Amino acid sequence: MCLFAFAEAYSQTSQDSSKVYKKRVLETIEVDFLSSYYSQDGDNAAVSGGIGTEELTDVTGTIVVAIPLNDDDVLTIDAGVSAYTSASSSNVNPFDGGQPADPFVASSGASGADTWANVTASYSHSSDDRNDIWSAKVSISSEYDYFSAGVGGSYTKLFNEKNTELSVSGNVFIDSWSLIYPSELRAPGNGGDDDDDDDFNINNYTITGNPNYAPQFIPFNNSGRNSYSLGFGFSQILHKNVQGSLALDFVKQQGLLSTPFQRVYFADVEDSFIENFQLADDLERLPDSRFKVAVGGRLNWYLNETFTVRTFYRYYFDDWRIISHTASIEVPIKITDKFTLYPSYRFYNQTAADYFALANENLSTSDFYTSDYDLSEYSANQFGFGVSYTDIFAKAHIWKFGLKSIDLKFYQYDRDTTFTSSIITAGFKFVMD
Amino acid sequence: MIKKLLLMAMIICFFSSCAVVKEYEKVNINDPDMALSEKKCDRNLTTAHSYREAAVGANGGKTGGGCGCN
Repeated sequence: MCLFAFAEAYSQTSQDSSKVYKKRVLETIEVDFLSSYYSQDGDNAAVSGGIGTEELTDVTGTIVVAIPLNDDDVLTIDAGVSAYTSASSSNVNPFDGGQPADPFVASSGASGADTWANVTASYSHSSDDRNDIWSAKVSISSEYDYFSAGVGGSYTKLFNEKNTELSVSGNVFIDSWSLIYPSELRAPGNGGDDDDDDDFNINNYTITGNPNYAPQFIPFNNSGRNSYSLGFGFSQILHKNVQGSLALDFVKQQGLLSTPFQRVYFADVEDSFIENFQLADDLERLPDSRFKVAVGGRLNWYLNETFTVRTFYRYYFDDWRIISHTASIEVPIKITDKFTLYPSYRFYNQTAADYFALANENLSTSDFYTSDYDLSEYSANQFGFGVSYTDIFAKAHIWKFGLKSIDLKFYQYDRDTTFTSSIITAGFKFVMD
Repeated sequence: MIKKLLLMAMIICFFSSCAVVKEYEKVNINDPDMALSEKKCDRNLTTAHSYREAAVGANGGKTGGGCGCN
């Protein structure tokens, strides 16, 4: 409330002092409440080396407040919290449940749930003729085992009577992991750091299969991950009903790109088990560098007062030899002046990373290996449907804020593997009187 | 790679050869559904994709960093 009161006062003062008319970049304070419920399942959990439940649910809530500081400048505060429960993450330590350890059964330990929180502040300035836009942002995000700080900036130039737009942007993220290893690798005698609260002691269990369990585990000596991105954008109005854009992003990542609790099972090492759970031969090991390139394009066509067609295509490749295509189409259908329907379809595919192999198919002699199915070859189809309500006069009110729009959407996502997910999203937009 | 860059250059030339659309003709272009970005309520969907898919970028979403994702 204090933030809103300050922003309103500041905004009003600035408005009064303007002597020359120019349209404000943002007329008034806008507030967006965004939320989502996400669920997924599958049989190839990376935490248990590519075998095991991927069941996960996540609830996210975000508030985005855009505040016009004067005619030209806008401050945006974006804060979000995401809480998830994950069966596979619970199996970082599968031995703390009330039932025999099993990769297809969630354990009950603390690692099965976490909260991610993020705050991003961004500031943008537009020139008097609105043909030059500068922006800068800082962000912080945190979860139990991960912390990130980011800075970024962009410059956008409009010309050709605002028919053409060129932009360049850059972002830097300085991230760090808290290294949490699978419980059997943390155990005394295995070279791990036994710092968990679960008092797991491998000597209290009977090891079946190969009873001489001796993983080749060496803890990571680096917990940092830095990401640098550089993006270029170009958009063009092609016709009074058609416009398109092209985007080119380069991303360089360095540091710990492996996830420190994802197990790997080797083909050339005898398997060891406790109860129904196969013990890790090692963690996933990935190169400490990755370079990504993405080229994307959008083309939107306003067919008539009822139908609009929105299309997107992206080609992606990186130096882990993943190549991917993404294509999507959405056809907003205005059924009344207030309600719009949003049917959509999205196709995605990718080739496998050089270092991916199925569970029990990696070799201990390799430098790098993973059984994370997110790095495997697959294709996915996604169908979506949404509805939005828009009241341009924002008649419905909560305190000083008028409700401008409500968006509700549902998406179903299916890979050609066992993985499926769905998400329900909701967005509420308010504008201050 | 060179072919792709040439193709992109051709597309840019094609785009820039269009007649200028005046401000008063931009009613349809300014429709919210014509925005060349994803709707705000789709942001969490895009984030979910960036967690579970290798490809990121060129869509206004995450490009890497800020999460323990791919």
